[in-house]
Amino acid sequence: MNRFLSNLFARRFQCNTKNNLHTSGQDFAWTKSILPKSFIQNNQKIYPPQEIGENPRPAFICHQKTNIKYSHEKLWYIACFVRGMTVDEAVKQLSFVNKKGASFVKETILEAQDLAVKQHNVEFKSNLWIAESFSGKGVHIKGIRRHARARLGEVRYQYSHYFVRLEEGKPPEDYFKRNPLTAKQQLENWLEGMRKRKIINSF
Amino acid sequence: MANTILKRLWRPSQVLFLPSRTTTTKHYNPKYRTHRAKKYLKIDLPDMNEDESEFTQEKMRQKMKEKGILPPRPWMERPFYISATGGIFEAYVPPEGDGKASLVSPARAKQTVQLLEKKSKSMLAIRKVKTFDEDFDSKEFCIQAQNIYIKAHECLVSGDRRELRQYVTEKAYPEFRHNTRHKTIRWRFLESLEPPRVVHARCTDVVSKQNIFGQITVRFHSRQQLAVYDRFGRLLHGSEILAKDVLEYVVFEKHLSNMYGAWRVHDKIIPDWAPPKDPSRLTRLKPDPEPVPVVEEKKEQPAIADK
Repeated sequence: MNRFLSNLFARRFQCNTKNNLHTSGQDFAWTKSILPKSFIQNNQKIYPPQEIGENPRPAFICHQKTNIKYSHEKLWYIACFVRGMTVDEAVKQLSFVNKKGASFVKETILEAQDLAVKQHNVEFKSNLWIAESFSGKGVHIKGIRRHARARLGEVRYQYSHYFVRLEEGKPPEDYFKRNPLTAKQQLENWLEGMRKRKIINSF
Repeated sequence: MANTILKRLWRPSQVLFLPSRTTTTKHYNPKYRTHRAKKYLKIDLPDMNEDESEFTQEKMRQKMKEKGILPPRPWMERPFYISATGGIFEAYVPPEGDGKASLVSPARAKQTVQLLEKKSKSMLAIRKVKTFDEDFDSKEFCIQAQNIYIKAHECLVSGDRRELRQYVTEKAYPEFRHNTRHKTIRWRFLESLEPPRVVHARCTDVVSKQNIFGQITVRFHSRQQLAVYDRFGRLLHGSEILAKDVLEYVVFEKHLSNMYGAWRVHDKIIPDWAPPKDPSRLTRLKPDPEPVPVVEEKKEQPAIADK
């Protein structure tokens, strides 16, 4: 019953219900949910068993928060901000970000962390890092604004989704590839490349 | 008193009280604010993340009235299945030290004598089974039972739910599938250490006299391998290079009065003397113990004589 109702409540964007004017399609118990589901589907994926002596595959968990009353474009900045951080660091940083979206992102990360421990065999909840974090576009409801000379302006009431994937382990040292190779490494690479080259029509 | 004086004396500078303006979208002229607001057509925006499980009954009623939704039809039917029983009747009690102690030991000899006494009831039950199934032979049945047992496990491993229903009763089905979601199971039946044998048989009628169910307990002593992996392919339980001797008492059930009834795995008898299970390989953080609420003892104040 709950799913049925949530479907109905979430999907009815009837503007001006008082006038009995229906501006959206009819909704029924069998109407398909419009929530994003392909990202969450990654949680169902089963990997083949590992051989003895192989490094254990790090666990991961995908989580999402849907239909946040916030612009997906604004949310994107916060989503980018936490990429490649450990969970603890991200939560700490987000609590000082003075934006509405930061609280949604923080909530989602904390939820995902909780799920990881409860359902996905993650032992230590601090041993997680944010491997993926991005925003998606939700429902946009269009409204009207009056302009001069009997003209109209369009107002968009935007909803957005937030997606996050936490992975077990420590974040990579250089997630954004900010630090290129050292001079010595560069020289070595160059030397190796030179040695590997093929000189045509030679012995 | 002292507080108020301090407050009067110490005044922070005015700058501290000035809010720093971060919004740059605000109109500079506040005079026509209401008029500007009226330019927007007011619409009711839905709150998509409402938790309707938290709604009170009145709130729910109000919401549904607003949307013009009728409450869903209550589902008053309760499904029940009558082609399998819900348990074991007169369960077999396995003798202690079975599969370990030698037959010569006095305790064991005593138990075998007792078993022989109990056997008469099993004989009667088997005779009853034979009235429905003329070709029934307990030796042949044991081989058949082992096949069913192996097939049921193979179906579980391959995740073939439809096939599994042919080898497992409706009672055992959830018990079989319990905790297998998102897991990879590797199971192998290596060999039978002792030939399986029928140790117990019972028949009962349910509801009417003609509606008879038969249950036969078969003892399997075999060597098996089991390894369970989680979603990421990490070993959770068992091992693929280790074989274990398994002694099991498996109850098979058949709806005898049903023409199309078949022998299926119904339950497993776990004796009290069974060795304890291996601890899980998974380790978890131990949750902090809940703080013990401190009960404050109320000191009884002596009644004041003045009041």
